[in-house]
Amino acid sequence: MVLTDTQENLWWIAVIAGFVVVLAVAALLTILVLLVRTIDRRVVEVKATLTQAKANTADAALLGQTAAGVDLVLAEGLEHHLFLGRVLGKVRS
Amino acid sequence: MNTLVVLTVVDIVLLIAGLALYLWIVGSQLNRVATNLEECNDLVRAIKANAETIEGDLEHINRTGGVVAGALPLLYGMAEGIVVGATYDPKQVAERGPAVPASGRRRSRLHDGVGYMPDGPAPSPRPALVDRAESA
Repeated sequence: MVLTDTQENLWWIAVIAGFVVVLAVAALLTILVLLVRTIDRRVVEVKATLTQAKANTADAALLGQTAAGVDLVLAEGLEHHLFLGRVLGKVRS
Repeated sequence: MNTLVVLTVVDIVLLIAGLALYLWIVGSQLNRVATNLEECNDLVRAIKANAETIEGDLEHINRTGGVVAGALPLLYGMAEGIVVGATYDPKQVAERGPAVPASGRRRSRLHDGVGYMPDGPAPSPRPALVDRAESA
């Protein structure tokens, strides 16, 4: 098989264009890998933040116990109110 | 021509190998990202579960605490009234003389016991006592 000069030139151009395309693809995929690596790093940071937030909110269940304790304080305050009212009435009389 | 064929094959092999390598790298990175995002999803669900009770409990605490804070001044006022009423105030106590028996001076019965009667024998004990009490 014998190629003409024009065909050979066109083949050379195609081969060179192919190398250029390979280089362009490599550059673009390198950028893609770098961006995905950035995403991976940021996701790890988000995960660490969420882990800390989970640890911070883990004690939120104690608020229920605190609410029950405040209710007990209120009940005791009402007892004090009744007691002081009785004593005050006797002191004044 | 052989050179062109070889270069063409090299070109195609480089393209395929490069694509495969980069896709493998990106694939592994995306797998890691997916794993981390799944863990983030679980963490967000746990945080949501933890935070769901905060609002209700805080409202409860604030409401009850407000009642307690509003009632404390009333208790202070009552306690101060008790303190004022129970504190000793010497100005309010009237000056009193020495305590004396309600029946007057008591008569000593020692003289009667030994038979000593300096005023002479009385007709009866009762009138003599009455007279002496009246003279005193």
